[in-house]
Amino acid sequence: MTRQKRSRHRLKRAVAPYLYLSPSLLIIGLLMLLPMVTVIGYSFQNSAVLRRDPSFAGLKHYQAIFNDPVFWASLWHTLYFTCMSVVFHMTIGMIFALMLNSDRINPTLRNILRVLYILPWLFTAVIIAVIWRLLLEPNGVVNSVLMQMGIIGSKVEWFSSPETALHAVTFANIWAGYPLFMVSLLAGLQGIPKDFYEAADIDGAKAYQKLIFITIPQLMPIIISISLLDFIWTMQVFPLIWITTGGGPIYSTEVLSTYTYKLAFSSYNLSQASASAVVILLISLGLTLFYIRYQKAR
Amino acid sequence: MAEVILEKICKTYGNNFRAIDQLNLSVEDGEFLILVGPSGCGKSTALRMIAGLEDITSGSLRIGGFDVVDMPPKDRDIAMVFQSYALYPHMTVFENIAFSMRLAGKPKAERKKRVDEIAKTLQLTSLLDSKPANLSGGQRQRVAMGRAMVREPAAFLMDEPLSNLDAKLRVQMRAEITSLQKQLGVTTIYVTHDQIEAMTMGDRVAVLKGGVLQQVDTPKRLYESPVNAFVAGFIGSPSMNLFEATLKGSELVFRDFAIRLQDAAFVRRPGLRSYAGRKIVFGIRPEDLYDSSLESGRKYQTIPAKVTSIEELGSEHIVHLNIDAVRVDSGDPDAVDDFGLASNAVARFEPASAVHSGSEIRLALDDSKSHFFDPETHLVI
Repeated sequence: MTRQKRSRHRLKRAVAPYLYLSPSLLIIGLLMLLPMVTVIGYSFQNSAVLRRDPSFAGLKHYQAIFNDPVFWASLWHTLYFTCMSVVFHMTIGMIFALMLNSDRINPTLRNILRVLYILPWLFTAVIIAVIWRLLLEPNGVVNSVLMQMGIIGSKVEWFSSPETALHAVTFANIWAGYPLFMVSLLAGLQGIPKDFYEAADIDGAKAYQKLIFITIPQLMPIIISISLLDFIWTMQVFPLIWITTGGGPIYSTEVLSTYTYKLAFSSYNLSQASASAVVILLISLGLTLFYIRYQKAR
Repeated sequence: MAEVILEKICKTYGNNFRAIDQLNLSVEDGEFLILVGPSGCGKSTALRMIAGLEDITSGSLRIGGFDVVDMPPKDRDIAMVFQSYALYPHMTVFENIAFSMRLAGKPKAERKKRVDEIAKTLQLTSLLDSKPANLSGGQRQRVAMGRAMVREPAAFLMDEPLSNLDAKLRVQMRAEITSLQKQLGVTTIYVTHDQIEAMTMGDRVAVLKGGVLQQVDTPKRLYESPVNAFVAGFIGSPSMNLFEATLKGSELVFRDFAIRLQDAAFVRRPGLRSYAGRKIVFGIRPEDLYDSSLESGRKYQTIPAKVTSIEELGSEHIVHLNIDAVRVDSGDPDAVDDFGLASNAVARFEPASAVHSGSEIRLALDDSKSHFFDPETHLVI
């Protein structure tokens, strides 16, 4: 092989990986990076989008949203909504996964339960919102059942009362999201060797000891991965809240996504909306970095 | 320490499949008993029933004098070593060994003292802080042993504990387990499908086939006096050669040749006379066949054979042969591997043998080492 041929061959080998990556890089660049950078740019401009030659605003819009009590309320609601959702998604997902993995339940019943438990996952956010609005309306099934059982004395306006609205949307989101945990944990449970439990039986482990010493440590990689992903996704939930409460009443269910949306498309303050979006981006980014570090550590 | 007694133990699954049929076995205090048999013979099921991991359909099981049929595994005072070792990957070696003590709520100082003692015996002291993933196969095996030992049980149950190790390590661990068992003096029931493990490790060996106990005896007696063709074929490697023959007077007639039986053969087995004029299964071990051209083979009668292939192992030659006789299947699924398509007999020759593949030879046989079985029942005559 001549020297020229050799160097051409080397160049081809060096370039090949970038050629393979280029289509996906191009798509990510156009559809994700470009809008992201544009939004970051808007957050530093006065009258972004609305004016052709917007002036530089510095950190003015960030100051404005940090001085807005509704922003802080939204941030608190977002954290409450997200934390409660993730904790209950995991708890319910784990209980159902353990149930579906148990030999003590009849296999036919297990198959029926598996289908039933996974149902909430099949619905889109709009359908979930509609279902829960119907169920939780003052004359809905939930009020009627609770009143018959004597748990509540009068009809509760779950989505319309500032005291209950945030809990109600969180409840609806918990209901909609646990199947992801259930399916992932069930797959994990099925991968735990039976020998571990048999060895523990011989060693005298009780059911709760097997759960603490074997099942949970064995599922830990799945629990951490799915919890982090769920945290990132739940923080950004918009349609469920928008359709059920629209952030109200009196900002009681306002979360960062609805707050940002209202700034952009109700007040047409796209610069402040961009600043708020950047805050969401930074929180998500922090969690994502944590997730990537965890994945690398494994 | 205790004796383990199984009486008429049966195991039937939901689909009416009978995995164990009327198993009677008595393991003495401190004895090392091997349960051996081909895949699917029920040996692991039997062990799991003793452990309490499988229900017993009927029969009685006593460990240390107590009826344990309805007892959960933890109350049976046994410890088990699994084929996969079942070491918890998220725990260190120390935590794995101390697990049962932790469950029992033993104080930390007591746990440490006991684990240190065991680690010293098993040479695991330097590895106590390691996780199982960082250990070699042999070390993992020792940790599994340690976890069983920590409980000071009445009996050890071991389910093919060496099957995941490479051949060389297996030989080493065989010796280690045997000497450890002698040192501890704990009653041990050891399941394996490897008849070399069975022959070298146990005080006695129980051979199972299709859930039915075939023979329980010392390795030597099992080898020399198998009760049926299955045990004859299963014990010994390569397997015993079994052929169909007809007894005519004092001669065993095969297709194209005959073997003369000495009077001693009829004296040793008086039942042989009743087979006169009838078919019989003739068995001879590969080491009782000789190369007639060598000194060792000259004193024996010979039969014609064709060499099909040779495995030169250095200390001996495993010679695959074809002789003009109908081979009898012992019922051991693993034995089929010993014979190629073209061969129906195996001999173990001295390395001095100059036979080569394709040559027609005279095969010398020591007929005093012959075995005879009934052609229908395969029981020894």
